[in-house]
Amino acid sequence: MLKLIVKRILLLIPLLWLIATLTFFLLRVLPGGPFDSEKNLPPEIMANLQAKYHLDKPLPQQYCYYIQRLSKGDLGISYKYLDRSVNDILASAFPVSLTLGIAALCIAITVGIPLGIFAAINKDNAIDAACIGIATLGVSLPGFVIGALLIFVFGIWLKLLPVALWESGWHIILPALTLAAGPTAYLARLTRTSMLDALNKDWVRTARLKGQSYWQTILKHVLRNALVPIITVLGPLSAILITGSFTVEYIYAVPGMGRFFITAVSNRDYDLVLGTTLIFSVLLVIANTIVDILYHVLDPRIEITD
Amino acid sequence: MLNKSRLLLLFLLIGFAIIIASPEGLLSGAFSFPLQTQQLTKLSDKTTNTPFAIFEPNTLRMNLGCEPPSLDWTRATDAASFDVIANIMVGLTKYTDNLSSAPSCAQSWDITDNGKCYTFHLRPDIHWSDGKLLTAHDFEYAWKRLLDPQTAAPYAFFLYDIKNAFAYNQGQIKDPNKLGCRAIDDHTFVVHLNRPIAYFLYLTSFCPTFPQRQDIIERYGNNWTNPGHLISNGPFILKKWQHEYKIELAANPSYYGQAPSLQTVKMFMIPEQSTAFALYENNQLDCIDNRSFPTSEIEKYRKSENQHGEYREISLLRVSYIGFNIDKKPFDDVKVRQAFAFGIDRERLCRILRHGEKPLASLIPQPLLGSVPFQSAQSYNPQLAKKLLSQAGYPDGKNFPQTFLLYPHREDTRLLVEAIQDELKRNLNIHVDLLNQEWQVYLQTLRNNTPPMYRYAWGADYPDPDTFMNLFTAHNGNNNTHWSNKQYDLLVNQAGCEANPQKRAQLYKQADNLLCKEAAPIIPINTAAQNLLVKPWVRGISANQLDLQFFSNVKVGN
Repeated sequence: MLKLIVKRILLLIPLLWLIATLTFFLLRVLPGGPFDSEKNLPPEIMANLQAKYHLDKPLPQQYCYYIQRLSKGDLGISYKYLDRSVNDILASAFPVSLTLGIAALCIAITVGIPLGIFAAINKDNAIDAACIGIATLGVSLPGFVIGALLIFVFGIWLKLLPVALWESGWHIILPALTLAAGPTAYLARLTRTSMLDALNKDWVRTARLKGQSYWQTILKHVLRNALVPIITVLGPLSAILITGSFTVEYIYAVPGMGRFFITAVSNRDYDLVLGTTLIFSVLLVIANTIVDILYHVLDPRIEITD
Repeated sequence: MLNKSRLLLLFLLIGFAIIIASPEGLLSGAFSFPLQTQQLTKLSDKTTNTPFAIFEPNTLRMNLGCEPPSLDWTRATDAASFDVIANIMVGLTKYTDNLSSAPSCAQSWDITDNGKCYTFHLRPDIHWSDGKLLTAHDFEYAWKRLLDPQTAAPYAFFLYDIKNAFAYNQGQIKDPNKLGCRAIDDHTFVVHLNRPIAYFLYLTSFCPTFPQRQDIIERYGNNWTNPGHLISNGPFILKKWQHEYKIELAANPSYYGQAPSLQTVKMFMIPEQSTAFALYENNQLDCIDNRSFPTSEIEKYRKSENQHGEYREISLLRVSYIGFNIDKKPFDDVKVRQAFAFGIDRERLCRILRHGEKPLASLIPQPLLGSVPFQSAQSYNPQLAKKLLSQAGYPDGKNFPQTFLLYPHREDTRLLVEAIQDELKRNLNIHVDLLNQEWQVYLQTLRNNTPPMYRYAWGADYPDPDTFMNLFTAHNGNNNTHWSNKQYDLLVNQAGCEANPQKRAQLYKQADNLLCKEAAPIIPINTAAQNLLVKPWVRGISANQLDLQFFSNVKVGN
């Protein structure tokens, strides 16, 4: 297992370099620059700005400069938020997204998987239809619709929960629910399919014949076997959830980092785009490594090789 | 089995119905919502009829809409930053409610050398928030910093009329002591200009020219705008800055003027309009403006009479116009441009936009010097438009080449250009394609490969016609029309240096007539407006036409 972790970390370095290089050059292909604004600056001032941020240098030189800083762990500076480093911006936004992401992940797992199990064991009757109906709704309704609906019902109508903002524990509930809706539904559908697959296996009948109770069989044998595909999607899913969502952060005014995936690009805030991309890549690799280890835990027949 | 599950579903539905049906009863009684109980006062004001009105005493809660990119007033460029800075800092002069310049840090000034030399006499009793005395050297430092090429300040052009300023900012002169701005002693600040610009005292009222503390900036470097480091001289000080979320200002005890009645100003950064509006309706914001005010709701509040006078509308010095690339066919023909101008009903466009926009006949908005009041009959004339079009060789729009209008990807802009497309089809039988681009891409296209038609807007930097008329002089970087006219340049320059207001107005009217009627490289469409909603327990909000809001006179309470 240690070997796997070391190997993955070593692999991460060329991977990050590749991602950084690709993103760096793709960004410069985009028309428009970070200092273009409604009020066009006199050329003298534009030249001063470009010089200050080394954007006047040839592209290969800018690239070398960036990679040099990156190797020291410096993600660069923001062109939009003057005097703030990308490290600073992400360090203050990431904990917020992490909190919200973990909350959403907990909801998705504790609601989605049982919903799927429930649907699978009641296959083709009303409960199954209800569960899958809810799941389909969760997958097909976009976040801004669910968000607006929750704000209206719980914030404005019932006045039970805060409409938005990020002040106390109560403020986490609605954004976490909104963020969790899609993944919950997705997990429920996946669990159902994969449970149904496992339920038809011969060893289920064998276990029952040997005298195991119904629920014991379901939880111990069927679920355990059905979990492999679920764990597979949980890896990337958690990476996506803990880096935040633009929609949820916008409608609930949550100061997380999900917004930067969108706004940094439209502001042409080059280093910030690179920073968010790299952080996401690192998290994705970590999540996938954990998934690989979990495979082995779930099914010892799956060996940890790389 | 089937019956059981049906029963379960029925139970679920009944339960859900009970929850929904009891907004004030079952559920809200069971939980007490922590946010509304702490430090909040319940107001049961009979006159306002709002029994659930809740506010925090002596605290104003508003929405900035986004994170201010910088609180360094030398380098800030955007509305969110200026909203904060305008409440923590004061400059040599300040705007009065009717947008003239009044004494602030400077108690008086002498203008000599035919309007080319300004001597400011500072008040001796103004202190920074750390207790240090404000001196003329703080102004000298700030202005030199603004012009220093190393600072790379976008607003450096503000002071280009100061002696040697342009050459210094360009890097041709290295010695900042050659600049024409100098502190003679602690209380006297002298400025030498290249030409006697008539609007100079407006420049000294705006954020980029506010004084700065050399010791603070040198001590903290790039971090000097953090709370605790930032020292200011205005009615408020920066207390807290949670990035992308909230800025808190506190009353400044060493402010030289009357101490503000507010103890705290909370400036949230809520990007989503409908969320901010829901917070206002839930009494968690005290005042909101366009940034938090959905169009459909504006209509509702404007019409409704029983909203306790919460709604108000302020016309802004912000002009929206359609520009032509006069090098591209068919707009190289002045008759085509004039036909388009007469073929668009600007009053109707404003009715479609619904934000309180006003139609415009000239590039100079009211009430600035030289502005022309809008008269529909003189700006909209489909018959004349058709005649001009057939004179240009396109009777009833026949054989008119295919052309397009470029606009940035924004909802209100889309509404406007679609209406223009419709007007041109109806009045001139011409079809104009619409093309939209993402904002930064749009700006790049506009500047490097100007489309035949485009939609643009300009907000005043200072309340003077020069900020608008300057745009279409030959060498202005914001003139994308490719139009240049020596007489126009001459008139605008002459007007900029004319001391007599009547003569100035006359010169601007001549220039404006040339621009908007005779040559018509642009069609001015409308001025924008700020739509405010203010809760009944807030008094004294003042917002000016430059779209700055000042909170020093605001009172929150019964």
